Amino acid sequence: MALEDYRATVKRCSRCSYCKWIPFAHVKSWRFAKGCPSIEFNKFQSYSASGRFAVSLSLLEGRISYTDGLLDIVFKCMLDGSCDVSCKVCRYDLEPVEVMRQLRFKLIDDGQFPPQDIPLIDNLRKEDNMMMKSKAERGKWAEGLDVKDLTQEEAEVAFHVGCRLCYDEELWRIPRTVVTLLRNAGIDVGIMGRDENCCGGRLCDMGYRGEFIKYAENNIEAWTTAGVKTVVTACSDGYHAFKRLYPAELDSKFEVLHITELLDRLIKEGKIKFSKTVPMTVTYHDPCHLGRRGEPYVPWSGEQKKIRGQVLVYEPRKPRNNGALGIYEPPRNVLRSIPGLELVEMERNREYAWCCGAGAGVMERYPDFSSLTAGERIEEASATGAEAIVSACPWCERNFIDVINDRGERMKVYDIVDLVREAL
Amino acid sequence: MALLREVYEALEDIVGPDNITEEPATLDSYAYQWIAELVADGSKFLTRPEAVLLPGSTEEVQAIVKTCNRYKLKFHVYSTGWGPWAAAPTEGQILLDLRRMDRIVEIDEQNMFAVVEPYVMAGQLQAEAMKVGLNNHISGAGAGTSVLANAACFQGGGPDCIYFASPQDSTLAIEWVMPTGDILRTGSLGSDLGWFCAEGPGPSAQGVIRGALAGAGGWGVITKVAVRLVHWPGPSVMPIEGTVPAYNSTLPENLFRATFPAFPSWQAFADAVYKIYDSEIGYIAHRQFIMWGDELQAAFLKVVTDPTRQLCDLKELLEMPEIQQLTEEMRRNFQLILVGMTQRDLEYQQKVLDHILSETGGWNVALVDEPAMQRYVLLYMIKLCFKNLNFTASGSFLDTYNTIASPDVWASEEMETVKELMKKYAGRIVDAGEQAMGPLSGQAGGGISGWENFVFYDPQDPDSVKASMEVSDEGDKIKAEKGRPPGGMLLGLARGTHGDEEIRAKKLSKSPEYRWQRKLKEVLDPNGVGSGNYFWGAEPSKEGKK
Repeated sequence: MALEDYRATVKRCSRCSYCKWIPFAHVKSWRFAKGCPSIEFNKFQSYSASGRFAVSLSLLEGRISYTDGLLDIVFKCMLDGSCDVSCKVCRYDLEPVEVMRQLRFKLIDDGQFPPQDIPLIDNLRKEDNMMMKSKAERGKWAEGLDVKDLTQEEAEVAFHVGCRLCYDEELWRIPRTVVTLLRNAGIDVGIMGRDENCCGGRLCDMGYRGEFIKYAENNIEAWTTAGVKTVVTACSDGYHAFKRLYPAELDSKFEVLHITELLDRLIKEGKIKFSKTVPMTVTYHDPCHLGRRGEPYVPWSGEQKKIRGQVLVYEPRKPRNNGALGIYEPPRNVLRSIPGLELVEMERNREYAWCCGAGAGVMERYPDFSSLTAGERIEEASATGAEAIVSACPWCERNFIDVINDRGERMKVYDIVDLVREAL
Repeated sequence: MALLREVYEALEDIVGPDNITEEPATLDSYAYQWIAELVADGSKFLTRPEAVLLPGSTEEVQAIVKTCNRYKLKFHVYSTGWGPWAAAPTEGQILLDLRRMDRIVEIDEQNMFAVVEPYVMAGQLQAEAMKVGLNNHISGAGAGTSVLANAACFQGGGPDCIYFASPQDSTLAIEWVMPTGDILRTGSLGSDLGWFCAEGPGPSAQGVIRGALAGAGGWGVITKVAVRLVHWPGPSVMPIEGTVPAYNSTLPENLFRATFPAFPSWQAFADAVYKIYDSEIGYIAHRQFIMWGDELQAAFLKVVTDPTRQLCDLKELLEMPEIQQLTEEMRRNFQLILVGMTQRDLEYQQKVLDHILSETGGWNVALVDEPAMQRYVLLYMIKLCFKNLNFTASGSFLDTYNTIASPDVWASEEMETVKELMKKYAGRIVDAGEQAMGPLSGQAGGGISGWENFVFYDPQDPDSVKASMEVSDEGDKIKAEKGRPPGGMLLGLARGTHGDEEIRAKKLSKSPEYRWQRKLKEVLDPNGVGSGNYFWGAEPSKEGKK
């Protein structure tokens, strides 16, 4: 598919603004009613999904040409999918996230990218990561761990750590705990260590589809060689890439589990038992790429037809991908099972959660916008009375930690894995 | 035609560099509109503004308007910006997007009113009002529309008027930046006595600003408005359950009940509406689901209340005997939401409704008594949070043969006339049957009734677009033959705003309302900098001479 294939779609937007808000059924206050960080902090209509439909059509019709302003409009968005959920409360034929992805692909294909990308892509090409680190450092997080090296031996389960957890030393405790938990639960798990590749998911959301394909092919080949059946990750970017993008682009067949799904399963099976209480009130932040954008990929081939004259239908039935099938309950089940822990919800949760601000390259390209978005979430978390915000993605956690430190706030930040470890 | 740098810099000085833009992509996002294709030769784009500004306060708005007067620069203004009337009518205009003015200034619980800025959505105010046992009117366009625009700038009526009153009766004091840049504070606010009254003590401008249809952004800029609130006996936060998009809400059964009264004839329907007025029951009264057509509404309800269903299921559903039976039961139905301030109150209202149904030979469609349907309908009608299901079938809608009249109109043969009209175009528009959606009452306690007959069309299919206009115009023609005023509202407003002088001239010649709007415009906006709207169009002075 290409942007051109969505020409009809971008003419059918009703310009109603639902994409800017959480689903109106869920509005509980004036303060936390908004859903889209891009329009909230950049203000002009073009920074909404509806606005980007207009911009896409304008570009397709040759009404506008490439400018710095256009690049800002296209790329200053986390592709968090809030717009997609709210739009699809009423619309069965529009695909806001898909249109915005295709718009990015077109710009990148046409050589249009923000200048901030130059060092990131340089480092990616030299060192296989956009964390501005060397490939040689990638496996340092696992030093001293007793775990299979998938480059040398086979295992049923590959634990894909991902760029953020590999290179963010403050977060190394998370993958190290995951390895210990899985091994103690009797799971045949291995890692790629120094030779692990970027998942490519963030690259894809940034618009670099070709680069993404390259990394996806490498990962699939490496897992196949290592006899891997299941890929586990503690990163929501990675989860989204493996769960949705790999099957969509490369027909990958691996079982994909986020660590919270696996922990939920292991707790229910009695393979993880808690012996300590964790007396704390926490609130859970749904990572966008695990929640509404983390729905399983279901292949579809068909066409749009009209019945009763002009009613638009897909035949055969097309998966809606409206956020209904994201991963929402497993992380909550894990938290609820921890003795002494009280879980309170933020106003915006599950499929209509507010984004952390880190996704789709915004953290790297537009750090101020990214921080504002994270700050909004911290304010929402604080409003619950919780003493900590818990997530299931290192990108969310890094953004929250930085904003809290910058603002001198007292909110603590945990990964679910941290709390499981504390309760053992 | 770009703005002169001197003008741009003067405007930039007011709002700051981050709140003004001339970026072409952004300007096009403001030109892109719903139903634009009807008046822009099939294009989704209306006129590009020269620049877009995001003022953050009344003072900034005033400074912008004064600057416009100084440079004879036209400005167009909007809140949510939904609809073709929100786009600049002609070239050479700047556009004021009021999204930064988004505060609920005050909710006066004791005196039951709220004061809001332009970018407060009805759904936001409702969430805050419910926390203190109150509720606000939501226009028929739904929870995602501006409270201020509905109160002071548009007709703004909706399903709840039977209890909440019409917007013209609910709008209290107003803060108004007039087209000259002067600020007028109306009603009690004009005497520094607060926001509680539209008419005084202090200057009353209710008839000018608000009237029945209001000025659609052509009277300068309304920057704050006070609106009346009503009692809300439900929970402070409506509990929401269900899987997206089939959300629903469980409300106390002893205080809330959704009903679908239906009738064997249009005469019985009309009789029941009068009896509902007389007995003063009901919190919300509307023909809502008929928007999908009397032939499709039952099947559509099954789709939207089941998250696993899609529109491709309509074919299968329409062949099911139980859906066919339901379709027949629902033909002449409306949605009546009974809300009791006490349990006894609800019981009384239910008894009255039962009596009315018995007297008129009507029935309550059993579907609505299913618990899941109760939960869905209550949420839908109270929050008006699914109003964009209007767009679900084909991507857009227009209207034809709209009617505002006494309830007798339901008993006229016109319902069948409009149904025949729709059938004639079926195929090029959605073949749905009778789609006369509308409130049972536009006034508190009852008084006027009517419908907005939807025409579902595909906005990217040129023939469907053409058919929607043909059916709208033909509906107008038939109405004219019957001696009724024009009734294709959306097409008329779109044409009126975007330059169809012929249409406007026709209206000006026939309607004293339009002529007075023109006269007032010339007095209030001597430099002609306030934008055109559907009353006086893009070039008012030219039309004024006609």
